[in-house]
Amino acid sequence: MKLVLIAGLATSLGASSIALAQSCVSTNSPPPPKQTAAAATPDQAEPDMQSVLDTLASLGPKPIEALTPVKARLQPSAADATRAVMRKKGLSTAPDLTVMTEDIAYGPDPMQFARVYKPAAEPASSPLPVVVYYHGGGWVIADVNTYDATPRLLAKQLNAIVVSVEYRRAPEAKFPAQHDDAAMAYQWTLKNAESWGGNPAKVALAGESAGGNLAVATAVFARDHGLAAPIHVLAIYPIANSDMDLPSRMDSANAKPLNKAMLGWFGYYYSKTKADQLDPRINLVKANLRDLPPTTIVNAQIDPLRSDGETLATAMKAAGDKVEQKTFPGVTHEFFGMGAVVRGAYDANAYAVSRLRAAFGEK
Amino acid sequence: MKTEIIVLIAAYTFFAVPAQAQVMPPAEYVATAGASDLYERTSSELVLQTTADPKVREFATMMLKAHAASTAEVKAAAAKSKVEAAPPELTPVQAEMIAQLRAEAGTTRDVAYIAQQKGAHGQALSVQAAYAKDGTSAPLRAAAAKIVPVVEHHIAMLKAM
Repeated sequence: MKLVLIAGLATSLGASSIALAQSCVSTNSPPPPKQTAAAATPDQAEPDMQSVLDTLASLGPKPIEALTPVKARLQPSAADATRAVMRKKGLSTAPDLTVMTEDIAYGPDPMQFARVYKPAAEPASSPLPVVVYYHGGGWVIADVNTYDATPRLLAKQLNAIVVSVEYRRAPEAKFPAQHDDAAMAYQWTLKNAESWGGNPAKVALAGESAGGNLAVATAVFARDHGLAAPIHVLAIYPIANSDMDLPSRMDSANAKPLNKAMLGWFGYYYSKTKADQLDPRINLVKANLRDLPPTTIVNAQIDPLRSDGETLATAMKAAGDKVEQKTFPGVTHEFFGMGAVVRGAYDANAYAVSRLRAAFGEK
Repeated sequence: MKTEIIVLIAAYTFFAVPAQAQVMPPAEYVATAGASDLYERTSSELVLQTTADPKVREFATMMLKAHAASTAEVKAAAAKSKVEAAPPELTPVQAEMIAQLRAEAGTTRDVAYIAQQKGAHGQALSVQAAYAKDGTSAPLRAAAAKIVPVVEHHIAMLKAM
């Protein structure tokens, strides 16, 4: 009898550890247990990139992977550091007034709204192309405010309407809430683009990091649900491969501002079960990738997600898609929003803009 | 046998602990809310010195009042729960944001202010909602619950700006 009782306790102990593999829905739920850190030292960044990383360090960030979500959301971001560098250089950090914004709801939740960026110039004679953009933050931290640089730049340089989608965050709303919201916002954009002066036949998808994943996953959703296909997909350092032993997971395990431990931390909070992290909407390399729109993938060399972009490009090519992928040297995750102060970012911005411009049939 | 059972129960309790909330301790909540209010008041005072936009003026005036009220609310609750509330201090990022506003003038200060307000209110809501949900001090939890709808109202206003 006693033995049975002990066995029962042991089982319940086992079950409780399994239950702990994913967080509860509170933003106060504690971080996952610390993993043993890989010893790899990341490659040295270019001096202009390093100066942003040094400035970020001077703003006193705490390691995200050791925090609760609510505290993680208060940490200085790469965008904060970029603006600090701009101010030190005497550049204005105020939003560029040649682009106007309007926040419009696409769903009933307060987080289901989009920030619509429009060139402030007189309305064009013909409807403008449209880009639906999804921000990053591992689906747990950051918002449309954190990721203002890229949508504003795309609106200005492409003379396009950019719809920057806010979405419900984890752990309050877990996977696939973000994918559902991304798809809902895309359909809403197709319906409403014309009323904003946009051309519904020229809609592209774009996104950074977790948002880069949403851009590709939404293209898959559009194909599977008979929606108008996006004209192009721009995925900037997307989350696309659930294999934690990819080369970049090793060589950039301790990179800044994103490290490997943070990827585990994001997974712990966004997923309901371990299986969620292997869902083809997350693990895009294992999704059905046939008949997807022409795609551009941008990566940073010093980034644990670099191999995600590289392996996604390989998988999409194998599925017969038109894909171009570029890895920019000497830069890190989040570099794409640093075009004002980092040369590699400026080059990547120009590359992405030229790809989208060509997709929209412009010079 | 008895000993083994006790050990197992102890192990069970130990592993079960991380599943519970790890809410900010009361003093940390008070400091975080205080810093956020201080940033709100400082930035709003700055924009009021230069703005020519009546909508920005109206919003900033409202922020001065609302964030003085929430500071008073939290201070009173802190006193009730015997939490020592040190004078609030801006975080390094908040201090940098104030420096950025100082570096702008006229319309560009207005737009920088509004952009900062949108981000800062999202963070403030996150902090207040989290403490209102799981906070360990009842008076502070009640204060946070009272502040949540105020911040939500500010966010709704900012969406129209």
